Amino acid sequence: MTASVTPGLAQEVAAAVDQLRRVTVQVRMRGAAMGAGVLWEGGLVITNAHVVRGDQATIELSDGTVGRGRIVARDLKRDLAALEVEPSPALEPAVVRDSPPLRVGELVIAIGHPGGVVGAATLGIVHVVESEREGRAPRWIRADVRLAPGFSGGPLADATGRLVGVNTMIHGGLALAVPARAVEAWVRRAHAAVTP
Amino acid sequence: MSAVLQSLSIELADAVESAGRAVVAIHARRRIPASGVHWRPGVLVATHHTINREENITVTLPDGTTAPASLAGRDPSTDLAVLKLPGQSLPTASLRSDRPPTVGELVIALGRPGPSVTASWGVVSRVDGPWRTWQGAEIDSLLRLDVAIYDGFSGGPLIDAGGRVLGVNTSGLARGVPVTIPVATVERVVTELLERGTIRRAYLGIGTQPVRVPESLARKLELESDVGLLIVSLESGGPADRDGLLLGDVLLELDGAGVSDPRDVLAKLGGDRVGKPLTARVIRGGEVKALQLTPGERPTSRAA
Repeated sequence: MTASVTPGLAQEVAAAVDQLRRVTVQVRMRGAAMGAGVLWEGGLVITNAHVVRGDQATIELSDGTVGRGRIVARDLKRDLAALEVEPSPALEPAVVRDSPPLRVGELVIAIGHPGGVVGAATLGIVHVVESEREGRAPRWIRADVRLAPGFSGGPLADATGRLVGVNTMIHGGLALAVPARAVEAWVRRAHAAVTP
Repeated sequence: MSAVLQSLSIELADAVESAGRAVVAIHARRRIPASGVHWRPGVLVATHHTINREENITVTLPDGTTAPASLAGRDPSTDLAVLKLPGQSLPTASLRSDRPPTVGELVIALGRPGPSVTASWGVVSRVDGPWRTWQGAEIDSLLRLDVAIYDGFSGGPLIDAGGRVLGVNTSGLARGVPVTIPVATVERVVTELLERGTIRRAYLGIGTQPVRVPESLARKLELESDVGLLIVSLESGGPADRDGLLLGDVLLELDGAGVSDPRDVLAKLGGDRVGKPLTARVIRGGEVKALQLTPGERPTSRAA
């Protein structure tokens, strides 16, 4: 008889969700719906440009600390925004998965705040990995995972809790996320340009 | 730390990768291509409703190359089509026919609506018993899925967590609901389409409606059941018309079994019944009368 894996699996999903919630923040605007964000290196929070309309937002970390976020970079085309948080977050930032490349069918976990529910989790799989054209990384990660408004700007992570993307939109039922490595490159470029 | 979760993730990706090698994109309609499964060497299975032209059909293989394919036959009633793909060394799908799928089983729907393979996951939500489509096709046990439908769903395989194929997916058989035609039905249809190009189905050329026979008449005629099928339409010159069935007859028995639902008639009309007489008992003019009805071969897209 084979050993039962289900109890272990359930615990591990819960642990992975817990770990991912720690790097997920709430991005709040006065009078606007709440979005999510990912705790990044250097005291930054990454979210979608469409989540932050003005120059600043209120950031609530997973430990309950509330800070002030100031936009330091924004890219409407990629729908990304980077905010510097005051006071600087004491929590560990998200760990980006650099390799191996994502495979179709891999498990992914998304965290967001749909309808004001803080830290909701959904589990799904990678739907498609677009073939790389001329060495250029694919524009989107498409995942078969059920998102709702409020997941925008939040993390999409693999089974080990490493960040693979920033959830950005729902298209034809699929979750579209900006690949984490593309976000990394963007932060390096965009943030360096505005930091004196 | 997350040993089981990680293994599951890797195994799902492995299942997609291995099964995906037998999944192709089929270009037989405008806009988005549909999917197909390399079922037997040189034989592809696709869905009928995604094939809008019978000529100039091309296929995108997993390695990204394009090859011509020809239509070998199609069966609208099971929504299956069979194509021939000559001269390709593509692996065939690994079929699971030893163990039927169960409700709650983790499954993955694969597709190839372009050069890349796609996957969506879920569970089998229902396993129906032998099921008959409204056109009279028999499906061994239709699987109903709790899986999202994306581009390329139809014609793709449903696979288990080990990458073995459980059937062919379609959104065109049950009003847009995602269902899977099981391996056994696909095998049967493929064999027959390769042999004949069409699926033979017997038909009588009648339309029926269940009616209750008046109690006094049922008693007088010593009927076992007081429900019969009133003949409400009769195809002029059709098999039943030729054999002397009349409008207004009430069909009680066919081939020795009582009939109380139009499906009971369909159940007697498999492809092997063409040209073989069936005994029928009807009520006509207050008397029970025996008749011989010989089913003909059903022209395509027509009911019982």
